[in-house]
Amino acid sequence: MSDEELAKDLGLVSAMTIGIGTMIGAGIFVLPGVAVNADGGAGPIVVVSFVVGGVIAMVNALSVSELGTAMPKAGGGYYYINKSLGPMFGSIAGMGDWMGLAFASAFYSIGFGQYLAVFVDLPTIPGLNAIQVGALVAGAVFIGVNYVGAKETGGVQTVIVGLLLSILAVFSVAGFFSFDYATLAGNEGGLAPGGYGAILPGTALVFVSFLGYAKIATVAEELKNPGRNLPIAIIGSVGIVTVIYAILVTTMLGVVPWPELSQDAPVAQAARVAFPESIGPVTGVAGGAAAVMTVGALLATASSANASILASARINFAMGRDKIVTNWLNQIHPNYATPYRSILVTGGLIVVFIALLGRDIEILSKAASVLHLIVYALMNVGLIVFREADVPEYDPDFTVPFYPLTPILGAVLSLGLVAFMDGIEIALSGAFVVAAVAWYFVYARNKTDKQGLLSEHIRSRESELPDQVVGAADAVAPNGTGDEGPTIMVAVSNPRTESALITLAGAIAQHEGGRVLATHIVTVPDQTSLETAAENRSGLDQSSEELLAAAAADAEAFDVPIETKTILSHRGIEEVFDAARTNAADTVVMGYGGTRFAGGRVEGSLDELTHDLPCDFLVLDGQRLDLSDVLVPTAGGPSSDLSAEVARALRETVGVDVSLLYVADSGEEESGREFLSGWADGHGLGDATLRIETGDVERTIGRLGEEYDLVIVGATERGLLSRIVRGSLAFETIESLDTPVLLSERPSSRSLRERLFGER
Amino acid sequence: MTSTDETGGQDLLGHVLLPVAHEEDALATARALEPYDPERVTALHVVEKGGGVPDKTPVEQSEELAAESYAAVRTVFPDADEHTAYARDIVGAIFDAAEKVDASAVAYRSRGGNRLMQFLSGDISLKLVTNAPLPVVALPRVDDEE
Repeated sequence: MSDEELAKDLGLVSAMTIGIGTMIGAGIFVLPGVAVNADGGAGPIVVVSFVVGGVIAMVNALSVSELGTAMPKAGGGYYYINKSLGPMFGSIAGMGDWMGLAFASAFYSIGFGQYLAVFVDLPTIPGLNAIQVGALVAGAVFIGVNYVGAKETGGVQTVIVGLLLSILAVFSVAGFFSFDYATLAGNEGGLAPGGYGAILPGTALVFVSFLGYAKIATVAEELKNPGRNLPIAIIGSVGIVTVIYAILVTTMLGVVPWPELSQDAPVAQAARVAFPESIGPVTGVAGGAAAVMTVGALLATASSANASILASARINFAMGRDKIVTNWLNQIHPNYATPYRSILVTGGLIVVFIALLGRDIEILSKAASVLHLIVYALMNVGLIVFREADVPEYDPDFTVPFYPLTPILGAVLSLGLVAFMDGIEIALSGAFVVAAVAWYFVYARNKTDKQGLLSEHIRSRESELPDQVVGAADAVAPNGTGDEGPTIMVAVSNPRTESALITLAGAIAQHEGGRVLATHIVTVPDQTSLETAAENRSGLDQSSEELLAAAAADAEAFDVPIETKTILSHRGIEEVFDAARTNAADTVVMGYGGTRFAGGRVEGSLDELTHDLPCDFLVLDGQRLDLSDVLVPTAGGPSSDLSAEVARALRETVGVDVSLLYVADSGEEESGREFLSGWADGHGLGDATLRIETGDVERTIGRLGEEYDLVIVGATERGLLSRIVRGSLAFETIESLDTPVLLSERPSSRSLRERLFGER
Repeated sequence: MTSTDETGGQDLLGHVLLPVAHEEDALATARALEPYDPERVTALHVVEKGGGVPDKTPVEQSEELAAESYAAVRTVFPDADEHTAYARDIVGAIFDAAEKVDASAVAYRSRGGNRLMQFLSGDISLKLVTNAPLPVVALPRVDDEE
């Protein structure tokens, strides 16, 4: 494990197991009897319903694979949607995923109860039938197991799935020998007694059998080699499960005539018929086979429910991370190390669903499907947004074929299938969607600071798009970022430079009436194993808390609000960019060391990142600031505008003397002086000392810089920062200068930046 | 990272490996160790892995937990080192870490709970003392400020 990240320990088989284990319980063991008899009898045509369900699942599986390899993060569908479509749709997706899983778990528990009733005489309680009682007991056990996090259950999962597949294989072989085409097709009405129109309603009913592949994506961060394993596991498990369903349902219907197929325990019934009563001297084979099938059904429904409860905790965590729900939900139990509150809340929902809706398994299964289908549809739209917005961070290892056809088809099919559900499930799901939107406006909107790519995209094209669209985007935008005044983000990493960086940020924030956000980004480079990184981390920085406390203390010198944040990240400088984006920073102040810390990494996206600055960047080379006079060399340009702003801020808050420098070609001193005084007036620095020199620009700055306490150098071209980061900038004169140097770079298209991150 | 103790491993508290589970536990454990004035302390957090199945908590959350725990230990031992391990077998991981950082002893504080709870969550105390390749110090449980 030396070179791998130690946190990643799920291989391809484990990942497949999660998908297949979640899906297979429902389709085979619970639904066939219900589906063939639905709506007065759909008949054997339901096999086609299963296949259609598989096709819809497959189209979505392709999209999930792309999104999952681009962002292997806990949370899956919710995370992608929140990131692309913003927190309002994120709330819908998170709530939909969560409630969908609770409905699905209730459904699996009912399935468990149905097979349990074959073995045990379950009592009835007023208001609850025997199956519901069994389901409630089962549900309580699943919740309890997840609450204590008994890890032994996890290890059994692989065994269970292996066992299930073997049981089903034996069953299909036995079924093959007792298969009778007349049994399949010879009933009244032939293969499609309900007509071909029964196919899609059938798919709507059985689609719950395919809710499982997306759970692989919720644990993507734990997969080894996710770029390869994630798509194979997701697409593979959907493919395998579809084939199994088609074969086994056909077999079942060729063994037991469909009108007689049990609605509660169809597989046990079919096994009783398919297996001979005795093989040689051994009698009771059929009964034994039925018993084995029943055990298989219990295992299958249990593993489905188990996986769903676990997945819902992941979604809660991701929502808590984005502050859509309170993090109270995600507290970890002190002894069991499980997210126990999340499990209990989900468990409570499951119990309520079983008790209130458990009499009709169709409602549970369809409600679960509708909610998931809404999430899938949003996810496909999100994928299109990611592609169209063309963000450099979005770099999936797997891409869907036939873009944009596949995601469009996925969204259309998902929503189309919803239309074949019944009114009650649609109403129920609609209520949850409305509740999610209400939740967003009442609670989450004021907490979350994440803005979706879509609204960034819309707001960045304010002038090109109709007012209504921009207005709508504004109306739903999160308030978490909506402060007056700019945000000056400081990336502190070194206690020695912390004070200097905060001084600069504080001065700018006070001058512009903004706030300071001090972040400490603890980087864990990818190449290093997490373990080694953790060791180095202790040597590298003092406790984050100490550092940020010092930052807060330093900022008190200025009359500005300060917020502090520690960010643990696998990425280095990219995280600075990401943090700047998510916190809607207007200016980032960081140390030269900070940029170099992540240097040496050869990463293609880095160039793109640094060429596409999210906001103004100020990089300080130097440790202490003792400011009384500063030198600003200028030749015009957007970055020297930024230099001027910083100089002005320092003059007005700290009271420094500002000198401006223009290095002219010899003989052109006069026009140089004219330019400089014009420039000074234009930037509110008319009273600054003007210095005109001739000679080599760098050497002149180096020579004069010695006389000052700080030199503010604007980037003369795009990509200055990129070159510092990669260490290819030959700024020797300036680097060897004892005076601290502040490098400033402003993104060249200022207006775009303003619209993206600045004014509303 | 590694340094041989001048006492040649004779000093029991020369370099103590301190396994901690979460912030509160870390604080209590560090305080319990404080009176014995160890020379050097390395805080250890073992992220419990599923080993082939999904973990109980997302990795990101586990790592946050680790960072909080280390910070808590540092409020008592400001110079404490930190070490994060990822394993399904927690006790094994503790001893591996002890070897890696060259610790002189492991100091831990039992997290209590009745027999059933200990059994369900895997009785770490028992395994820790029965399989120990180096001295294991059980710190007293002081329940005054919990």
